[in-house]
Amino acid sequence: MHMTPMTYEQPKTPAEAISILDECGEKAKVLAGGTDLIVDLKHKPGGVSVLVDVTRIPELQGIEETAEGLRIGSAVTYTEIMTSSVCQKLIHVVCEASHTVGAVQTRSLGTLGGNLVTCVPSADSAPAIMVLESQVTIAGKNGERTIPVEDFFVAPRKTCLEPHEILVSLMIPKKNLGKPAFFLKAGLRKGQALALVNVASSLNVVAGKISEAKIALGAVAPTPIRVPAAEKFLEGLDPTDENLKKAANMAVEAAKPIDDFRSSANYRNQIINVLTYRTLKSCVDAQ
Amino acid sequence: MATKPTKDVIDQKVGIQDTDNSLTGALRVKEDHPVIYPLSLPENDERQATPAVGQSATRSDARLHGLGQTQYIDDIKFPNMIYAKVLRSERAHAKIVSIDVSEAEAMPGVYATVTGKEFPTNSFGPTLQDQPVLADTVVRHFGDGVAAVAAVSEQVAQEALKKIKVVYEDLPVVLDPEEAFKDEILIHGPKSNTYASKVIKKGDVKKALAKADHVFTNRYKTQFVEHVPIEPHASIALWDGNGRVTLWSSLGRITLGREDISRTLDIPQSKVRMIGTIVGGNFGGKNEITNEPILALLSKKTGRPVKCTYTRGDEFVSSTIRHPFIMDYTTGINNDGKIVARKIRMLLDGGAYCSWTGTTIGKGSILAAGPYNIDNLQVESFAVYTNKTTTGAMRGFGAPQVCFAYESQMDEMAHALGIDPLTIRLKNTFREGSLSPTSQTLHSVVVEESLLQASEAFGWNRG
Amino acid sequence: MLVELKVNGEKRSADVPPETTLLKFLREYLDLTGAKLGCDVGDCGTCTVIVDGLSVNSCLMLAVKATGSNVTTIEGLANNSELHPLQKTFEDLGALQCGFCGTGMLMSAKQLLDDNSDPTDFEIRDALAGNLCRCTGYTKIIAAIKDAAKILRA
Repeated sequence: MHMTPMTYEQPKTPAEAISILDECGEKAKVLAGGTDLIVDLKHKPGGVSVLVDVTRIPELQGIEETAEGLRIGSAVTYTEIMTSSVCQKLIHVVCEASHTVGAVQTRSLGTLGGNLVTCVPSADSAPAIMVLESQVTIAGKNGERTIPVEDFFVAPRKTCLEPHEILVSLMIPKKNLGKPAFFLKAGLRKGQALALVNVASSLNVVAGKISEAKIALGAVAPTPIRVPAAEKFLEGLDPTDENLKKAANMAVEAAKPIDDFRSSANYRNQIINVLTYRTLKSCVDAQ
Repeated sequence: MATKPTKDVIDQKVGIQDTDNSLTGALRVKEDHPVIYPLSLPENDERQATPAVGQSATRSDARLHGLGQTQYIDDIKFPNMIYAKVLRSERAHAKIVSIDVSEAEAMPGVYATVTGKEFPTNSFGPTLQDQPVLADTVVRHFGDGVAAVAAVSEQVAQEALKKIKVVYEDLPVVLDPEEAFKDEILIHGPKSNTYASKVIKKGDVKKALAKADHVFTNRYKTQFVEHVPIEPHASIALWDGNGRVTLWSSLGRITLGREDISRTLDIPQSKVRMIGTIVGGNFGGKNEITNEPILALLSKKTGRPVKCTYTRGDEFVSSTIRHPFIMDYTTGINNDGKIVARKIRMLLDGGAYCSWTGTTIGKGSILAAGPYNIDNLQVESFAVYTNKTTTGAMRGFGAPQVCFAYESQMDEMAHALGIDPLTIRLKNTFREGSLSPTSQTLHSVVVEESLLQASEAFGWNRG
Repeated sequence: MLVELKVNGEKRSADVPPETTLLKFLREYLDLTGAKLGCDVGDCGTCTVIVDGLSVNSCLMLAVKATGSNVTTIEGLANNSELHPLQKTFEDLGALQCGFCGTGMLMSAKQLLDDNSDPTDFEIRDALAGNLCRCTGYTKIIAAIKDAAKILRA
């Protein structure tokens, strides 16, 4: 398959990128790793004729610890995250989630930021960064804005980005660096698989009670979602199996999985229950 | 023995300066020395000496595979070669009202187009010649080709397809084989949709079923399977000034291919040269022609070598796949586990065209009873057209489907009768001198020994 | 657009339309047909090559993105004038059948062994998750990689 003729731009600053996007509108697409975009363009050209490669923009690169927390550029690849000792130490759950994406080749090119921008309900990086209460920074012609990552996802394949805007970076707040957090993904295969369900949990146990429990589910609603009901329920409770299982049931209540050719809603609900319990249990055991 | 390759950073001798360090960034560039020819290669060794039996031998293709030097069809390039693409119908069942290729032909970079009516004989097939090279009056499944374009590049050819205007008149669609069997919607009208059948009879199945202690009736269904050869179908055609056409193709059966070319293009076989090379996976799916006659005509029109490869999408929709079977097994069995009668009715989803259904229905029917001594047997099989991808040859030709049925039923009967699944099989299995379902005397039969050895090996305790 | 890079240690360049993938660039502009087109969407891995030390699906990477990079393909796997141990063990064990997945497998295996000199079975399988084979069932491929790792460690 061939893509239709394109022009290729390599802006060196966010402002350059924004200006090209603003000028070209729907004709332009942001290119980072290309592991989603190039596939889409081969199947559905959709009038795209300008590719804006943002991987040379320094602001979109780098993994660095700042006073605020851990900053990850949107064009950082999964392999870079997985091989970063800083990420392994401070946000291990994100390394775990990254490892489940595609295969080695996908991860060499694919970016975590790109995963968020493609915005499919089953995005593997989403639950992991959501339970760490990540924020994302967006830049556009009207300046920069920083929002919780949950607000970034609007609908399947639709983010809150305006056509002239780019995702610049991700920030994981300092208080959540090193917080026990775990991710599990269920797929039809162990590799190269789209999630039937993916789940992440994080929590602390303080003075023998659960504190700051966060649960996020993917592939079971139009966007990845948190489960505030279960999070509230667990706050201040003993970390017993019974309580964790109750929280897992609440996760099932919050989810809206569908029947599709990969799986049934019924099966997905059962998996949500099991994976939520297991990730919560792992957090408790890791304290 | 090779030494561990050394890893250097960017080689200054070659003269490239990496001026933009942000590309490689923190990644350390690993680099080996370039390959120097001639390679010093291990000689073929004493493993090639006879006697062959019991010896392991090096595959003759292993060396080139490892070096990446094996030439598959898509790796072959000729000077002045042009590229073809085929427009697929993307309709399940429709009459073709008109095909207008004029806009495509007028595109810069397009050399020629071809449609079905340009073929002297627009039909081919290993058993029934019911499949058009390019559909010209009716399309019978999504993957039917309706027109083809040859252009200076694949990209231009792909764009040119968009300019071909086909007007269709949708026809009623039949997707379910049981619906198709009713002949309410005919796909190759006026012929019945049932285009192949087979009957095997032995003994008196009706009488024996009536006398059996138990009768089990079960239905089993299997699904479509696509071969997914990692190499997509590919071919190149060159029609030369002597009126001879040479084809390079991933096709597995080149003599059959040559017959099809001769037939569809109405040229003697002596004018057709078919070259098959290493195939990147066949499994039955590359047993008949696909694009070859199309490319031959395009080459005739342009005087250029013309290449076409299937996309992975084409592989799923336009190349052949395994037949789904619907199998009804009625088995009479006695309390001691001895099968006394078996009546089988099978319906094969025969897709849009016949392809290798003849062989599949034959093999499937003969093997349907399983490797068991059954004196009273009746097998009745039918294959029907449906408006779906052509079902053809795939590893086993019907054997895997029926195996699923008879082995599943064996387990169900064992469970219902409280007999160990191994025991029930040993009770019925073929032995030396047993008769096959078609009364062939079987020799070198080792089913019992195999079952016993296998069950021993995996620790099956007979209950 | 002009693409200038190093392929198997040699400086190569060509002027290509920007939408040209690295796979097409290698196969059609540089006549390096070792990397194959199996699916064109990064699922099967037959297009695997190594770019700056990392295995990638060359069908998903634009050639222009590879400007300035070091690319290693199957044609550069043999070292100096000898087969790479992977090529030797694949041959000795009969790891490939039709061979079409072979070049991609070998490149993924090379990247694995470049980074991990003693991979476990799990690590080998994980490294090969992006390379599909329809003929062999993978068993001898994995065994050949383990053998090659042993040779490289010696």
